[in-house]
Amino acid sequence: MDFLVSSFSSALRLIGALSPDVVDAVRTSLSISAGATVFAAIFGIPLGLLVGLSDFPLKRLVVTVLNTLMAVPTVVVGLLVYGFLSRQGPLGVLGLLFTPTAIVIGGTLLAAPIVANYALASVRGADPRIVPTALTLGAGRFRAVATLIGEIRFGILAAVIAGFGRVVSEVGVAMMLGGNIRGYTRTMTTAIALETSKGEFAFGMALGIVLMMVALIVNLFLNLLQQR
Amino acid sequence: MYRLQSIRVRYGSNVALDVEELTIAEGRLYTLTGANGAGKSTLLSILAFLTPPTSGEIFYAGNRVDWTHGSVEEYRRKVTLLHQSPYLFGGSVHDNVAFGLKVRGIPGEEHRRIVDRALDGVGLQGFRDRKARELSGGEAQRVAMARAMALNPEVLLLDEPLANIDRETAGLLETVIASLPAQGTTVVMTTHDPDHPGRLNGESIHLEGGRHVVQPLR
Repeated sequence: MDFLVSSFSSALRLIGALSPDVVDAVRTSLSISAGATVFAAIFGIPLGLLVGLSDFPLKRLVVTVLNTLMAVPTVVVGLLVYGFLSRQGPLGVLGLLFTPTAIVIGGTLLAAPIVANYALASVRGADPRIVPTALTLGAGRFRAVATLIGEIRFGILAAVIAGFGRVVSEVGVAMMLGGNIRGYTRTMTTAIALETSKGEFAFGMALGIVLMMVALIVNLFLNLLQQR
Repeated sequence: MYRLQSIRVRYGSNVALDVEELTIAEGRLYTLTGANGAGKSTLLSILAFLTPPTSGEIFYAGNRVDWTHGSVEEYRRKVTLLHQSPYLFGGSVHDNVAFGLKVRGIPGEEHRRIVDRALDGVGLQGFRDRKARELSGGEAQRVAMARAMALNPEVLLLDEPLANIDRETAGLLETVIASLPAQGTTVVMTTHDPDHPGRLNGESIHLEGGRHVVQPLR
């Protein structure tokens, strides 16, 4: 028990002193997660809206695939992207492996299905009177859909936040595609895994506390939006 | 205003509407009656150009409606449907009443004048900046009526506009509705109240099992 208490107080000291290693890992994590979330939103939101608003023969299958993609293990996504970006892979010539860009690509693939599913759920849960009301007031199809998106904007924002939550807390993609290079691709999660295995438990705990705080803030924000 | 010929709407094997011939004259008020499931809402949806019929033809102001996107959008700007439980968009009462004005490209400086006049018409002076979602059921119904009237439509379609609201609001809306034909607006409203045709000086369209039948004697 003493070990845990002393590690915890050391972790708080590291956070309070703004240890450069902690700050670096936090900064890298947040910037990579933000980048991946932006791309996941760019792909995921239109995809979710398109599936939610249109009827086509294989819609059920597409929804099932989207749901399944949410549960894909992070290491599988890491493995797939690794195959493309490694030197022998089709995109190896770009030299992206073990760079923040590689983690952003993996994070995007991880978060996009989540964003798409949340956006799809928002469309499905939207009041069915929105589009007919807009149409009967003279809106064209695009304006009616834009009105619908405006009405479910908090659901869409919740989709983006959920995507961010997924990327910031994952470790498989960041480890496999980033390589945990200190000050470059070392994120909070990879640093926790590595430093703990090296016996730097207090350092891992410091990052764990920051990560929990980020997750808490993200979820508080998400709950706040879902209540609106 | 409208001429419907051999209009049929099918949902699978069910025939929801089967109207051989129906004419709705300009500047008149019609009450649309019938039991639940008689096809009233389906007919209103077609008259509002929201749902095309499975078969048959509709003529509006003498022109055959071909249901292509551009053409239907043109017709929709002349006709407004007010649902029984209308949806108000998030934002203020002004945002709601001005929605159709913005869609039509009416300059912003005119919005305030038109919105205020429409709200006056339904007895909601001073409600312009109120949040739409915080209104009572009767107030929301009146805002929806103001939103429709602000557009000065050629045809106003009303789906049981006087149901589920208090007597005072119902009386006010009934007066507003009765005054519309004199201003050139054609009104078609569904109702379960057998006194409405007489009280509103309107004509009756009666549906039974999706078919247009001559109003039974009472």
